[in-house]
Amino acid sequence: MNHKLELRNVIKTFNSEEGEIKALEDINLNVKPNEFLCIIGPSGCGKTTLLRLIAGLDLPSSGEIILDGKEVKGPSPDRGMVFQEFSLFPWRTVIKNVTLGLKIRGINENEQYRIANEYIELVGLKGFENCYPYELSGGMKQRVAIARALAMDPSILLMDEPFGSVDAQTRNVLQEELLGIWKRTKKTVLFVTHSVDEAVYLADRVAVMSTRPGRIVECMDIDIARPRKRTSVEANEIREMLLMRLGSEYQKIR
Amino acid sequence: MKRNNWLSLLEGKYRVEIISLCVIIVIWGLLADFVVKELYKLPGPISVFYAFYKVREVIPLDIAVSLLHFSMGLAAGAVVGITIGGLMGWFRVIDRAIDPLIEIVRAIPPIAWIPFAIMWLKLTHYSAGFIVFLGAVFPILVNTYAGFRGVDKVYIDAAKVLGCDKGKDLIKYVAIPHSIPYTAAGTRIAIGIGWMCVVAAEMLGASNAGLGYRLWSRFYLLHMMDRLVAYMIIIGLIALIMDRIFRYFVEGKILKWKKGTVAV
Repeated sequence: MNHKLELRNVIKTFNSEEGEIKALEDINLNVKPNEFLCIIGPSGCGKTTLLRLIAGLDLPSSGEIILDGKEVKGPSPDRGMVFQEFSLFPWRTVIKNVTLGLKIRGINENEQYRIANEYIELVGLKGFENCYPYELSGGMKQRVAIARALAMDPSILLMDEPFGSVDAQTRNVLQEELLGIWKRTKKTVLFVTHSVDEAVYLADRVAVMSTRPGRIVECMDIDIARPRKRTSVEANEIREMLLMRLGSEYQKIR
Repeated sequence: MKRNNWLSLLEGKYRVEIISLCVIIVIWGLLADFVVKELYKLPGPISVFYAFYKVREVIPLDIAVSLLHFSMGLAAGAVVGITIGGLMGWFRVIDRAIDPLIEIVRAIPPIAWIPFAIMWLKLTHYSAGFIVFLGAVFPILVNTYAGFRGVDKVYIDAAKVLGCDKGKDLIKYVAIPHSIPYTAAGTRIAIGIGWMCVVAAEMLGASNAGLGYRLWSRFYLLHMMDRLVAYMIIIGLIALIMDRIFRYFVEGKILKWKKGTVAV
């Protein structure tokens, strides 16, 4: 079976003053093309670390990460990333944030703007091209970040709790929009969250991580037909199962 | 009812400021004429205004000379401060290598260098310019350093995943734009300190022209205190105007994306 992304025995340890800290232990994970995979786990379990390894921002201590048959050796635009914190460059306007990667890639200016405008429209921010990030709400900033990542036409979209710092209503809207974008662009999405609700609403499959050192303790398919209803009975059942699984992980911390 | 132009000022936007300024001048006049009563200790507003008239012919040249000293020093300070500050902020090893020297030299008040300025550069414009440079370079350097050093990691990461894999690109697209408000704040401080330095350097013999030179060697030594006060006012006004121009330029043009961080 062909995998989009393959993680084989990935281990990550950090050196700190108290000695070695094992952040990730023996992660094995396969992601299918076009799959929407959510990773949930207790705080501090290494979800973000895992995503940063896939992005190439950190390198695994051992093991392999293979994307499209090639081993990940460092950051590259073929893995678009949306960060938990607001990561737009505050000194660049919306459109200039989106064109930066294209500019570095060496694409000519007209084409940069054409592509950027297309993705800004896709995330519903037409008319805000020349705003600076400080003029945007939290939700709008994250939409621009999504457009910025997608404009590079990445092979996979990595999202690290992107909606963690927006209010609940905006969050619901953004989730819906993300699903729309996912459907249209047919990207593979790896989405880290601590919210079971979010995972159940978005994902084809949910990977549950343990407390530190992080391992993947369970992978659960979410076989609910789309478009999903947040309050449906089957969604609640899956939520219940995931919460129990996560709850037992939290027990270990106490 | 027809209003007088002057009176209509009192109903304008700045009426409180204008009234306050008038009251201060009146108090100054009363103090000078009825309390101190000594021209050498406190010349009154009328004699100072008259002094402006008496020295009107030398004012432009003195201002030009002092501004020349000032701009030489500030320009050199900006070039050196931004370059070294940026390098120290970005490369840890350069930081560690240069920092001890910077810390020691920075602690010496620029005016203490005046004897050496005269020895090395004689009574040229470079001499006072050098003192201004010493006053201006450190605020710019230290702030630029902070701007480079304090780049949020998430911006670096974001740039990396967008394809900025070379240090050059990270500096160009992240560190430099991030540090501009810091450098601007440092430059604003440098303008204030640099202007103080230019006056002090000219007063203490590093020049034979300029506002500071005339204030000390012509007016003070001949005890022409009214003219001296007139020059003090000119020196203050120029500092004020430079600060306002800088703020307008930087806030309005360069820092559109970051309102209200440079101006206090």
